[in-house]
Amino acid sequence: MTFLIQGVYSFICVLGFSIILNLPRRLLFIASISGMVGWLMYIFVQNLTSNFILPAFIGSIFVGLLGELFAILLKHPATLFTIPGIIPFVPGYGIYYTMYHIVNQDFDAAMTQGATALFIAISIACGIVLATSVMRLLRPFIRQYVYKKM
Amino acid sequence: MHSKKAIEIAIKAGKIMLVNGAETYRVEETVKRVAEAGGLSSVNVFVIPTGILLSSEIDGIPATVLERISSEGLDLEAIDRVNRFARLYSSGTMTPDEALEELKILENPPKFSKRARFFFTGLAGGFFVLLSGGNFIEFFLAYWIASFTVWIFDQLTLNFFINNIIGGFIASILGLIGVLAVNRLGGSASLNTVIVGPLMTLVPGVALTNGIRDLISGELLAGSARIMEALFIAVALAFGVGLTLQLSLLLN
Repeated sequence: MTFLIQGVYSFICVLGFSIILNLPRRLLFIASISGMVGWLMYIFVQNLTSNFILPAFIGSIFVGLLGELFAILLKHPATLFTIPGIIPFVPGYGIYYTMYHIVNQDFDAAMTQGATALFIAISIACGIVLATSVMRLLRPFIRQYVYKKM
Repeated sequence: MHSKKAIEIAIKAGKIMLVNGAETYRVEETVKRVAEAGGLSSVNVFVIPTGILLSSEIDGIPATVLERISSEGLDLEAIDRVNRFARLYSSGTMTPDEALEELKILENPPKFSKRARFFFTGLAGGFFVLLSGGNFIEFFLAYWIASFTVWIFDQLTLNFFINNIIGGFIASILGLIGVLAVNRLGGSASLNTVIVGPLMTLVPGVALTNGIRDLISGELLAGSARIMEALFIAVALAFGVGLTLQLSLLLN
């Protein structure tokens, strides 16, 4: 049940952000789906572990894989799917909060928040790069499969 | 004369991509591909978020062009269109003059109407609040605050730092008023939860992640520049929000 609700929330959230980012109209639905899958994986992993890096890493791997797959199938750059897709767990709020603590002279909290945000961002970037590299290896096979079907 | 046009096309394509927030490696790849399709030899491209350097050999003499860029945030439609343009152009179906015409059109890609943007910005901010555990009253507040904040933010044409201070200030002052009103009427809403949504629409999380991605793929200069930009946007937002909180302390 929670998954269903979270799925709907994240779908609409990613849809909204896609429109802020001016995503081409035909791709809105697909980008929102990949964002939803990424977020569901994120909360799924979050329930299994107390680690803060792993959920974002796994989530972004899924976003990256789906993005690359859609990129091959629909012939658009993969960024169009990955950038809206990572938005639900991107640490934007974390870096804002870091600066906010610094402005309020709370340096301990700033350090904690800042390190967390930085490492979440690094893990997302790693996840996307990993997914891209894996798909680059698999691309010829997927292409072959798709064309055989057509 | 022909080489000059080829350089112009390559630089223009790269400029549209970079202005609209494409990743560094994609811009470099595109500029290189378009330049080589235009018949230039020994092409070298160097891209940082604030400029494109393209060098090549024309009649045996090395030539370099530098184009200064100021970025305008993310626009995925523009990136997509230039990407398609690059693919078409390098397949050789376009004359240089046609390509220049096409690029002039691509400079202003179609955008969603103001009303759609207003509506969906609210949904983005509102549902982000729900994702981070807010209740429906907080969703409602975040919806309207996000819409208005981004609407006002879009009208601002000052320097990016000042723009973001104003953005953070507007988001937090609207949030503060909304939360005070809701609590006066007997509902429950917390400022910190409400403000997550509107700030998420301004906050540079994607820029930070893209910067780190550039660093990972070896673009050290471009990556550092993007991360610095993200940090300074965050500082500006924190200034804006801090301003509101100081004001509210004064009023109390």
